[in-house]
Amino acid sequence: MQFISYYNFRRFLERLSKDFLVYTPQFINERDYDYSLFKEGFIFNPYRLISSPRQFFTASSSLVVGYFDSKIPRREIKPFAIVGLKSCDLYSLKIQDYVFLEGDFVDEEYKKKRETSLIISSDCTSFKDVCFCLNLEIKPYPQEGFDFNLSDIDRGFLVEIGSEKAKRIWEDNKDLFEERKDLQARREEKRKKIIEDLEKHLSSLGLVPQEKLYQLVKNNHANPLWQDTALSCVECGACIMNCPTCHCFLLSDEERKGEYFRGRIWDGCQYKNFARVAGGANPLKLRAQRLRNRYIKKFEFFKERIDLYACTGCGRCIDSCIAKIDLREIFKALNA
Amino acid sequence: MPKMNSIYTPKQAVITKIIEETPTIKTLVLKPEEEFSFSTGQFIELTYPGKGEAPFTPSSDPNKKEEFEVTIMKVGRITALFHQAKVGQILGLRGPLGKGYPLDSFVGKELLIVGGGVGLAPLRSLIYALFSRIEDFKKIIICYGAKTPQDIVYKYQIEEFKKPENVELRLTVDKADQNWQGNVGVVTTLLDNLPLNSSQAVSVVCGPPIMMKFTTWKLLESGFLEENIYLSMEKNMSCGLGKCGHCRLGRFYVCKDGPVFKYSEIKDIEDIWD
Ligand SMILES: Cc1cc2nc3c(=O)[nH]c(=O)nc-3n(C[C@H](O)[C@H](O)[C@H](O)COP(=O)(O)OP(=O)(O)OC[C@H]3O[C@@H](n4cnc5c(N)ncnc54)[C@H](O)[C@@H]3O)c2cc1C
Ligand code: SF4
Ligand code: FES
Repeated sequence: MQFISYYNFRRFLERLSKDFLVYTPQFINERDYDYSLFKEGFIFNPYRLISSPRQFFTASSSLVVGYFDSKIPRREIKPFAIVGLKSCDLYSLKIQDYVFLEGDFVDEEYKKKRETSLIISSDCTSFKDVCFCLNLEIKPYPQEGFDFNLSDIDRGFLVEIGSEKAKRIWEDNKDLFEERKDLQARREEKRKKIIEDLEKHLSSLGLVPQEKLYQLVKNNHANPLWQDTALSCVECGACIMNCPTCHCFLLSDEERKGEYFRGRIWDGCQYKNFARVAGGANPLKLRAQRLRNRYIKKFEFFKERIDLYACTGCGRCIDSCIAKIDLREIFKALNA
Repeated sequence: MPKMNSIYTPKQAVITKIIEETPTIKTLVLKPEEEFSFSTGQFIELTYPGKGEAPFTPSSDPNKKEEFEVTIMKVGRITALFHQAKVGQILGLRGPLGKGYPLDSFVGKELLIVGGGVGLAPLRSLIYALFSRIEDFKKIIICYGAKTPQDIVYKYQIEEFKKPENVELRLTVDKADQNWQGNVGVVTTLLDNLPLNSSQAVSVVCGPPIMMKFTTWKLLESGFLEENIYLSMEKNMSCGLGKCGHCRLGRFYVCKDGPVFKYSEIKDIEDIWD
């Protein structure tokens, strides 16, 4: 397996910067990391970043198209490389891919970004209190869906090459890598260790097993819990904006200097007007209905459509909720 | 400059004629710049340039290729703009979207068509489609209700609807004026003594949610089977493509899997009439 030292990895990122906009993790406070454009230093994030990868593929507010005889040129999408995605993030891209790529209508912008971008993921070496990926049977180290995956070992990274694109890039940069057979066993040990630690943490929380989640939501549409829990919701929308699998958006038209264009803005079912129709009728008029809707969408809808939960266990919704609404606790209560 | 086309890009369509149906409903006749065709029951997203889009169901004969019509009730921001639009103005068009009525599965059957208010728009397109192969259907009963005689759409045409001999037309208004000779009462009052075998017949319903709710209940009571009641579900929509998430109804997206559903497919979903 290939190995790259910390020093060479920085050089690798510098080289990548010629062809890609390279985003790497930066500290934003003593516990958290977020993406910023790579300049020189590289910080390894032990667990997922604050932002989900979603922002790179369907920017929260972006120009989608100019129309009619709009002179607004289509934005050239510069390929980007994102470093620091975790296993949970990669899982979320399966959901986004289903939404934007499957079926009769393909979102070309999304497709282009998925094809041209470079994903450099890494094993988790630690986790946040809110992390519960393992509960959803997602391992805290990537197994698929990356171009390169890094395992932090021996002042460098053991590198797994996950795509043809990555293989070509590696071939052009072979001088920075070396073959290390001795490290693979260490990687497996580390992976075993993180699983053990995470299992211990999760079992102390007494979470509901993943195979029960679908039925729990399905059988509990009328449970008063939604109402009781929703009372504390302040409708800020942090849970939906931070969720890596949320995908809802609104097309919005504008006119500027006689030219028309259409943008895409993230929207979400926790906002009051999400489902409102003309005349004021609104099937999601109550906060309780909206809260429940999120669970139905993620644990029933996606399960029924593609046999996947649209939840990665990243805990971003828990982390970001001012009202401290905790998905894990909701399931425990439904299961009680 | 690269041609900017995406699934979100509208094509141009020019307004060639405007028909005032009622004080709040207008029909726009549109001529698309590029070839456009739809199956009856499919819908489009119509753009008021620079202002926004809304979903509408073409109300014209799907066999007509040059132009098509949409019948629009003024209820809010975008529909008000469409009502101000003038002949010659260019609008944007995306579609056709969604699935149409399964006409072939209606062959040989007795059909009941129930419309309320502007809900007759998609049904008119269906009626045209049925009339173009009228001998395929045993019998067609059309029931239509409007608030007042003034609110009846397609008045200039309604006589045509009863021309074929296997067609019966029933009209009602909630509130009559002095010239109204016909039935008074909500549309469900037209559904008594239907000359058809309800356990075999198919019904197609389109109108405001409350009207669809009471109509469905009445039809079930009269012996219609759940899988023979077709409903047009209205949901908030943005993309019309199954991506933006707005129109979810249970395990369906109304825009992609509908907008027409059998009652049997959706009856277990809560709040379907809200
Ligand atoms: C499949 C389908 C077919 C239909 N066919 C017909 C038809 O044939 N004829 C007909 O008359 N009607 C039809 N309708 C209903 C029609 O689409 C609505 O009446 C129309 O969308 C109302 O738009 P409005 O802006 O006038 O109303 P409003 O009440 O102003 O808005 C309606 C919805 O759009 C949202 N909205 C309003 N303004 C904005 C904004 N600035 N940005 C983002 N969202 C906004 C609102 O939140 C609300 O959900 C159909 C609906 C569907 C789903
Ligand atoms: S949820 Fe799992 S994969 Fe994601 S950051 Fe936490 S430990 Fe890593
Ligand atoms: S309108 Fe966007 S998903 Fe149906």
